[in-house]
Amino acid sequence: MKKALILILLLGIILFSTLSAFAAETITVWAMGAEAKKIGAMVEKFEKAYPGLKVKVQAIPWSSAHDKLITAIAGGTVPDVAQMGTTWMAEFGSIGVFEDVSNYLKNSKVIKEDDFFEGSLNTNIVDGKLYGIPWYVDTRVLFYRTDLLAEVGYDHPPRTWEELEDVARKLAADGGYGLALSTNNYQEFMPFVWQNGGRILDENGEVAVTEPAFVEALEFYVKLFKEGLAPIDAQGTNLFQEFAAGRMPMYFSGPWMVNLTHEQVPEIDGKWSVALMPEKKSRTSFIGGCNLVIFKDSKHKEAAWKFIEFMTEAQNQVEWFKISGCLPANKWAWEDTYFNNLEMMQVFGEQLKDAKAPINIPQWAQIESFIQRRVQEACYGEKTPKEAAEALARDIEGVL
Amino acid sequence: MKKDIKVPLLFLAPALVLMLIFMILPIFVSFYLSLTDFNVFALVDWSKAKFIGLENYRKLLNDELFWKALKNTLYFVAIGVPCAIIFSLSFAILLNRPDIIGRNLFRVGFYLPHITTTVAIAVVWKWVLNPRYGILNWALSLFGITGPSWLGDPRWAMPAIIMLVVWKGLGYNIIIFLAGLQNIPEHLYEAAQIDGANRWQQLFHITIPLLRPTTFFVTVMTLIGYLQLFAEPYMLTDGGPLNSTLSIVLYMYRQGFKFFNLGYASAIAYVLFGIIFVATLIQMKFRDEEIQY
Repeated sequence: MKKALILILLLGIILFSTLSAFAAETITVWAMGAEAKKIGAMVEKFEKAYPGLKVKVQAIPWSSAHDKLITAIAGGTVPDVAQMGTTWMAEFGSIGVFEDVSNYLKNSKVIKEDDFFEGSLNTNIVDGKLYGIPWYVDTRVLFYRTDLLAEVGYDHPPRTWEELEDVARKLAADGGYGLALSTNNYQEFMPFVWQNGGRILDENGEVAVTEPAFVEALEFYVKLFKEGLAPIDAQGTNLFQEFAAGRMPMYFSGPWMVNLTHEQVPEIDGKWSVALMPEKKSRTSFIGGCNLVIFKDSKHKEAAWKFIEFMTEAQNQVEWFKISGCLPANKWAWEDTYFNNLEMMQVFGEQLKDAKAPINIPQWAQIESFIQRRVQEACYGEKTPKEAAEALARDIEGVL
Repeated sequence: MKKDIKVPLLFLAPALVLMLIFMILPIFVSFYLSLTDFNVFALVDWSKAKFIGLENYRKLLNDELFWKALKNTLYFVAIGVPCAIIFSLSFAILLNRPDIIGRNLFRVGFYLPHITTTVAIAVVWKWVLNPRYGILNWALSLFGITGPSWLGDPRWAMPAIIMLVVWKGLGYNIIIFLAGLQNIPEHLYEAAQIDGANRWQQLFHITIPLLRPTTFFVTVMTLIGYLQLFAEPYMLTDGGPLNSTLSIVLYMYRQGFKFFNLGYASAIAYVLFGIIFVATLIQMKFRDEEIQY
């Protein structure tokens, strides 16, 4: 009698567990850094909306994410969905481990192609295939001290390159600098090239960094250092302190700096603001962020796609912003009334309409290091801008 | 003897197997890699890596950045190693004197940086070296010297790195030197004192000659370690500004794990291995016979 009871109980447990396993399809999601900690709230909502689906989130620190992906790819233990930095798309995309999602997107009733910022969507396209959907974005804008600019007669942020130079010169007159700028960060340098109509490769894939538009941009960039408007040796300085002290009253950076500035130097709250990039031919900025991809080896592609749809749909993107502070990649999310009250965020939303990502090719990591090396050589005066551009062209040709 | 070897081997087997898999094998594999063009495309499909013979090594000879990295590393070693030896020897001699107040406190103090992670040290040193608010430039200003922008100036970035590395390694070398100093028999000093030798004469005619084996050991280890400079420039400057702190290992890391040119990176590793090997051989040659007390 006792035995039979145990047997029935055991059978029941087995039956129940197998049944529930059938009932709920589980997808594995790899999320990185701070996002992994915060994604739980979204997952809860997703599981409520799709009762048949379960999501298992695996947190991966950014520092080991690249290695982990490589190992997973080599060992065939990839997740169903992963968060992917925009600059990694080309590297992994070109080795063919992602699922092409263009058909999913075409048939989707939730999201469509032009829901997303063009620059952001473009980071997903490798070799003409769509390998992911933008999850969140970031872009660089001008941070400036409203009070100090007013003192030199500017009641508005510099709108053009000429104004930028002019106001920087006036701000630097007191012995400080006009703005902080990096000699070794392509994300700060490339917008100047794009604003001037320059590019890295032309439409035929030929290196185009010796075109006048590129060289002029580099000349302007170098001039800011040469004339002491920007500090050549900003490395090792503390930007928050310098910004608060007014020695570097302008700089270009991303949305993360808004909260950090409030936290680090609350004493200048209300004395600074953000503005669109200064204009030359355009006011293009840099776009970064993260995409969501499905792996080709996934056995739950339909469910994985549902998850991506859910995460990138406008209303949920607003929710995600509230949770994480990550800027929505979905344009419609910005129309939400929530954003109307966030003045600074509106600037980022506006800037995203004119923001670009660098070319999506697997050799990008090398090209990036070449750009940084040559720009730096020009800034320090080791080479003229023209020589630096020519050297850069040779570098890039060497790896294409 | 011969029949006895089986049992010890059995006990050693786990360690030997692990060493074979994780140390010996990779040495050969990476040498083979250095003869291929293994890059990002070969990661998924290994058959895409082609055998290209010595092409990587030929390319290295024409690689301007590699030469720069080599030059930087040699500059670092040429200044860093003598500094490390002189400072740690001096401090060891001082700490060996029984009449120093707070001797143990100093010993601990000097050893602490050695066991602190480089990441933490780098954060602190970034503050120390800050051109405007840093404690180093503040100290210099007391003497009327305007300190440079240590990490932002291509001329001063490497000296700053040398300063940090020498300081960090001091404790370890001091311990070795202390052990060496305590091995020198006391009666030699007594005899010298009776003969009327002053402290300096004792130092140059007893301490330093008798410390030779220790000095040799410290020099070899420091040299090998310094030729592999990586963490400090990686944390503090990422090789900049103007690649003035780019070391060979940092360059190898970039090629290997940032660009995934694993073939090329392996070639760099083997060139570095050659350099260290030759440097150690030369030192062995200059080494005197074992000293007998």
